[in-house]
Amino acid sequence: MSSRPDPAAAPAVADEDAAAVRLHEVGHVYDGAGGPVAALGPISLTVPSGTFLVLVGASGCGKSTLLRLVAGFEKPTSGTVLTGGAEPVPGRGAGIVFQQPRLFPWKTVGGNVELALRYAGVPRAERARRVPELLERVGLHDVADRRIWQISGGQQQRVAIARALAGDDPLLLLDEPFAALDALTRERLQEDLRRVSAQTGRTSVFVTHSVEEAVFLGSRVVVLTRRPGRIALDLEVGLPRTGIEPDELRALPEYAALRAEVGHAVRAAAA
Amino acid sequence: MRVLSLLALLALWQLAAAAAGNPSFVPAPRAVWDQLVLLSTTHDGVRGYSGHLLAEHLGISLRRILVGSALGVAAGLVIGVVLGAVPWIRLVAEPVVTFVRALPPLAYFSLLIIWFGIDETPKLWLLAIAALPPVAVATAAAVHGAPTGLVEAARALGASRWNVIRDVVLPSALPEIFTGVRLAVGVAYSSVVAAETVNGVPGIGGMVRDAQRYLQTDVVVLGLLAIGLSGLLIDGLLRAAETRLIPWRGRT
Repeated sequence: MSSRPDPAAAPAVADEDAAAVRLHEVGHVYDGAGGPVAALGPISLTVPSGTFLVLVGASGCGKSTLLRLVAGFEKPTSGTVLTGGAEPVPGRGAGIVFQQPRLFPWKTVGGNVELALRYAGVPRAERARRVPELLERVGLHDVADRRIWQISGGQQQRVAIARALAGDDPLLLLDEPFAALDALTRERLQEDLRRVSAQTGRTSVFVTHSVEEAVFLGSRVVVLTRRPGRIALDLEVGLPRTGIEPDELRALPEYAALRAEVGHAVRAAAA
Repeated sequence: MRVLSLLALLALWQLAAAAAGNPSFVPAPRAVWDQLVLLSTTHDGVRGYSGHLLAEHLGISLRRILVGSALGVAAGLVIGVVLGAVPWIRLVAEPVVTFVRALPPLAYFSLLIIWFGIDETPKLWLLAIAALPPVAVATAAAVHGAPTGLVEAARALGASRWNVIRDVVLPSALPEIFTGVRLAVGVAYSSVVAAETVNGVPGIGGMVRDAQRYLQTDVVVLGLLAIGLSGLLIDGLLRAAETRLIPWRGRT
């Protein structure tokens, strides 16, 4: 069911593992309007390869900051962040899905995915083959020639996920990717992401403020306190990753228990 | 509706001409029409105006406008991208662009004549210099204000600095650049008469200037109409190109 990760075993695995994320005493302070603001930490966290880690916390707890540090968009003001054993650089080793799809409107749907493949160094002939393949993988058919504004918000976010998967990076980072979608679409995308994630087994860090989403998607859930964000709860989720229908999963008693535990921790941490 | 307003305008013009009672002051539409026919044909052994048909005058001016604004737009694009992308160059060079923009074309035309003579070169220079600032300013603003979200998304996909400029910054700037180009062509249009004040025949501006000397008001009016109408046409073409080239305009 759920247990705390073994603190002794995890780092030993991570040292050898290119896909893992390691945070050591990471803190981040930025210049706000009224002086410096401590956004995060200090936090130490090790994510072994293959983990689907969900960071959950109230808005403004620094979870998005943490993701930007792991993506390499910003450098921590203290401590070290390592992905694959090296300092993270944007565009190297991690695919990113943002809250907004951030697709390029001057490209078609297929063109957006194609561009990602090009940046990843995939040769032209192979790109033509892989674009429809990637779109299929996120549940999109016959949309490659459409314009971005001709598909729905949910479909746009699917394209963004396909684009992030294009580079075959060992790490996938997702910053509240479903927060702007309606409830029904969000649920379907969660189910599809869970399926895709189980298929690829890619190390993922997913940021959300939704307890439901955290428990449904995560193989490990970390709850952050309010600013400056620290770890309030670190939970290994023992739910089955494959061979189970989403509705069956949600009906499991362990699922309800986990949701209650995480929900309680989030509320306590935000107080 | 448009036809109706056009007819109303014509009627108003006719009334004004009748009221003025002096064809050298306000020529009647009929007189201008006769000039159009006269200048478009060879009559009494005279070919059009000063040996060139109206269409030839207009064609030569249009060619100057086209080449001049093409040069100005190309230079404006390069300067705009540099201004938008490199803050310290923007700081130094932006006042220069604004300075040039404030100068009336006739003011620097004298200098261009001293440098380049009286043939085609100074005319093209004048039009290029007139067309450059609108494009440079629009491009600089658009490049500077490139959407950070999209730039970040491209970087996350592994785009190099050059990739980001080519695939994100420039396409996202395209709508504003296009507005700059339309402005630039407009400025080149209004500068063509200035460019053709010296040795401007053949050329529609030169024709208007000569006609003014001899008080051929109907020819002056005809020239103005030719410039204005062809300008409308060119702007229409640019707009059509814009909707084709930038289908995402207004959709983001």
